[in-house]
Amino acid sequence: MEKQIFKTDRKMPIIEADNLTYTYPGAEKPSIREVSLKIEKGEFVLLTGPSGCGKTTLCRCFNGLIPHFYEGKLRGEIRVAGMNVAEHAIYELAKHVGLVFQNPENQLFALSVEKDVAFGLENLGVPREEIRKRVDWALKVTDIYELRERPPYELSGGQQQRVAIAAVLAMQPEVIVLDEPTSFLDPLGAKKIFEDIYRLNRKLGITIVLVEHRLDLTAKYANRIIIMDEGKIVLDGEPRKILVSEEVHLMGIGIPKVIRLYQFLKQRGKDLGEPPLSSEEIAKKLRERLGR
Amino acid sequence: MSMFEGLKFRKISSPIHSLDPRVKFFYVIAMFAAAVMYMEIIPLIALFLIQIPLIIAAKVTRQWIKSMRGATYLAAIIFFTNLLFSYFYPTGESFSYIVEHATAMTLRFVVLVESFSVFFLTTSPDHLGLALENSHVPYEFCFAFTTAVRFVPVLAEEAQTIMDAQKARGLELEKGNFLKRVKNYIPILIPLIVNAIRRSLELAEAMESRAWGATKNRTNLYELKLHRGDYVLTALTVLLIVLAVYVRLYIPIPAVSEILG
Ligand SMILES: Nc1ncnc2c1ncn2[C@@H]1O[C@H](COP(=O)(O)OP(=O)(O)OP(=O)(O)O)[C@@H](O)[C@H]1O
Ligand SMILES: [Mg+2]
Repeated sequence: MEKQIFKTDRKMPIIEADNLTYTYPGAEKPSIREVSLKIEKGEFVLLTGPSGCGKTTLCRCFNGLIPHFYEGKLRGEIRVAGMNVAEHAIYELAKHVGLVFQNPENQLFALSVEKDVAFGLENLGVPREEIRKRVDWALKVTDIYELRERPPYELSGGQQQRVAIAAVLAMQPEVIVLDEPTSFLDPLGAKKIFEDIYRLNRKLGITIVLVEHRLDLTAKYANRIIIMDEGKIVLDGEPRKILVSEEVHLMGIGIPKVIRLYQFLKQRGKDLGEPPLSSEEIAKKLRERLGR
Repeated sequence: MSMFEGLKFRKISSPIHSLDPRVKFFYVIAMFAAAVMYMEIIPLIALFLIQIPLIIAAKVTRQWIKSMRGATYLAAIIFFTNLLFSYFYPTGESFSYIVEHATAMTLRFVVLVESFSVFFLTTSPDHLGLALENSHVPYEFCFAFTTAVRFVPVLAEEAQTIMDAQKARGLELEKGNFLKRVKNYIPILIPLIVNAIRRSLELAEAMESRAWGATKNRTNLYELKLHRGDYVLTALTVLLIVLAVYVRLYIPIPAVSEILG
């Protein structure tokens, strides 16, 4: 269904920030400073960094909540899907960027799941038959079709977060930004959500920006990691390179256990070659090494 | 509040549940009008009885009984207030007439509660919101209504959590005189209000992110359509009103005390 929308056309940046600095109203210092970045179509970007470093603030810039919902001072420029965020209303940007928030409870408003998933499309005035089609599609992709008539508040946290993802998916955005979507969930529920997100990226070519502390669970899905500290981007690159770098170890980021094991072995003169990102990977390498 | 407990909607499917909420609302208004027309016991009992088949068809008998039981306190208050009133302001009527009058007033109230509970027990809040929208109530109000309904259980749970947390820290709610007790609730109200404000900000953010207010011509996933059952109920309701007016105007209604002797 409308696959051409999701056609991955790499090389064209879908998000492009240039020297972005933002100060919340009443705040003394900026929460993000001189942030410049380019995110290409189809990328899976992991955004991480210590608490309070400005990750949520940056996400708010991606869909226009800053500067339209949060006033305050924004300098620099950010373009999403070719539109200057400052010059377009949030509802225009919503067709291109979907935002999924931390607390599933506070982003679902309707009394049934399908009504919630339909909310964005209703707001846009999409004809009823089209809404029906897209809602059913989004519910099936996120595997919650059976829950469509249930009230959201009766669902588990994981199911609720899946509803929130379906709700932005139904609007068929090119980018989905998820701000710590699993911090209210148990590890198993979290793992399932991450797998779903990865599927959206692989199968539909949707660009993903995932804010997450648990690199253990997510590093293997990303093709890029951005690390922020005190409002600035301090590291940006391929996971395998970033995670073994000197700087990242000094920052107190939760380094995945497989990377630590890899480095432990390396210090002892056992180089496994390319750094692994999942336990399967390192197991395979070790097996090869041991000749089994 | 068991009277409100009885008004809480539960999702069941029945012919009454699938009726159009606008038609059911028309029925409530008609019942209201008919009940107000009469001061005599017999027609009010008739109004009470004719609603019972609806309740049985809707499979909500148990909740309905609960809500009626919840209403007995208020009914008793109405009954005795009426009695007292005629005692303090005597109009020279006989005692049996006074009792009969008080009973009729109480029955009137019971009929109203009955028809309201039929409405609320069989109408989903979603349906109700939709009916409001279709009646040209501005969308913002309808949205506020359904969102309020959705967050009632959430806030109730939150209030309970806060209460437990404060009690665990040694807050005693039931201690002291009236003023002191009201004061005891402050440590519960403040976190509740602060949380509610934070929550509403997050909600607003999520709404904006999903294109709230993009166009004046909003569409709706659901559509209200009148079915055969709706026409049947409308016809019955109209018939009821006509009958009620006719009886009121042309047929003298005896008092129960007259019949009894
Ligand atoms: N609505 C707001 N008003 C004023 N200041 C804010 C607001 N939201 C965040 N801040 C401030 O901006 C800075 C960055 O906050 P932000 O929420 O972006 O961090 P974060 O990286 O998302 O942290 P966390 O990992 O805890 O979610 C913090 O110093 C915070 O106090
Ligand atoms: Mg945050």
